Amino acid sequence: MASSLLSLRHINPPLRVAQTSVRYAAREVNTSDPRTDIIRRVLYPSNLRNRASPVGNWRPDVARRLQRAIPSVQAHETIERAWLLHQRHVRKSRQSELDRKFQCMRTAMEKLRELDLQRYRAANELEDPRARSEEELELLKTAKAPEKKAMEARIRGLFPRELRVPTETPSRDGWNYDWVPPSRPTQ
Amino acid sequence: MHSFVQMLSRRVLSSCRTHRNVPRIHLSSRSLATEADVSAPSTSSGIPPPSAPKAKKEAPKHTLKTAVILNRSPIITRTPTKFEKSYHAYQSRIQRALHNPFPSEFYFKPGSLLEGKFAAEEREREREAFGRSGTGVSEASQSDGVLEVLGEEEVVKPMPRVHEADIKGDTKSLDRQGERNLYLLVRGKDATGKEVWRFPHGDVKPEELLHDAARRDLHAECGDHMDTWVVSRNPIGVYQPSPSEENYIFFYKAHILAGQVRPDGKNIQDFAWLTKEEIESHVETEYWTGVKDMLSDF
Repeated sequence: MASSLLSLRHINPPLRVAQTSVRYAAREVNTSDPRTDIIRRVLYPSNLRNRASPVGNWRPDVARRLQRAIPSVQAHETIERAWLLHQRHVRKSRQSELDRKFQCMRTAMEKLRELDLQRYRAANELEDPRARSEEELELLKTAKAPEKKAMEARIRGLFPRELRVPTETPSRDGWNYDWVPPSRPTQ
Repeated sequence: MHSFVQMLSRRVLSSCRTHRNVPRIHLSSRSLATEADVSAPSTSSGIPPPSAPKAKKEAPKHTLKTAVILNRSPIITRTPTKFEKSYHAYQSRIQRALHNPFPSEFYFKPGSLLEGKFAAEEREREREAFGRSGTGVSEASQSDGVLEVLGEEEVVKPMPRVHEADIKGDTKSLDRQGERNLYLLVRGKDATGKEVWRFPHGDVKPEELLHDAARRDLHAECGDHMDTWVVSRNPIGVYQPSPSEENYIFFYKAHILAGQVRPDGKNIQDFAWLTKEEIESHVETEYWTGVKDMLSDF
């Protein structure tokens, strides 16, 4: 593993990937509106190599800046390898957790097949999110807006609408302990 | 990739094995079909009544039960480890050194107050990343002047990541341990009649599908005042309390989205929302070995 990572060191990516033969200075067209001037200057910078541009066509001071940022080439590579190793550990542990869960599911389905074939077949049925039963259609016609919303938030085969993505900090109100079940006919 | 292929081939092999072992008393050959050979999906739940009576004289009687692993998924993102934090800081330093020069004339009016404020903040960030260099005195006075003119903005402080339930150790709270997955553990009688900490379980009615039974049992034991969602029709695990008796508990995963458990007091005496390690300390050893692989590690 270490040898394959070390061999990457010898692949030096080419520093010059594109080269224009024509070098032009930016045209100083002074119109009445300075905003259009600025936009033109940003969109069409001069590619004369006399100073660093906002678009970054020519950066002469990269080496000096890098010297400021990183301690040394060896240190940088060590840090990079440590990070890749850490990522590998994280990936391995996540994968093993998923494998364990999948094995549990498999044994459960095998057991169900042994015990009760009809329930096993029913468990294997795919849920079509677009399918609506007759009762649901009837209820949708007569239901009020909040009930309709509640039903639409729970479509079988899709994730519920209320499932939240984790955030950096918790919500101001915290967990909703006072939830009241609406008259939702089926989940 | 290799493991996936292995898993596939293992599944094929095991299905071949069960074909040999199944007693050939089923009247139709369709009942030996594998999982690929499935009837047309029906939208209404419920098993169609069996066409012919099955002679199960040889197969022993088994009882099915369903249990629910009710999960409160994480509310806040994970705290990065020290190594991750320092690596992120290192990478942002490199980015700051190498990024294209910022076209401030495009984003700010030249000489405006906002540009001055942005420049001051940028200098602060540069100082944080690279440390003080050159004359720091004049820069500081300039930035203070700009800030004075603009005035202090109303900074809305976000909620702290540690909730008071964490400090108190209130296991009934659903705000505790925002980063982790919390699972509902309930104190009631298990199959033998002993009072233990376990997942909520219940019986399956004769013509009822397992995932419907799981949902019904959960609300029967823990009350209606919970907004739950059973993830799938497939069980996530099976547990046999005693190897001699043919009783099987099929576990189903569900998420709680709002509300709280209201124990009825008859079957359930107490409940707790616990992380994986806390469950291990509460639950019987045999039960734990049967159940631990279904739970998320973090």
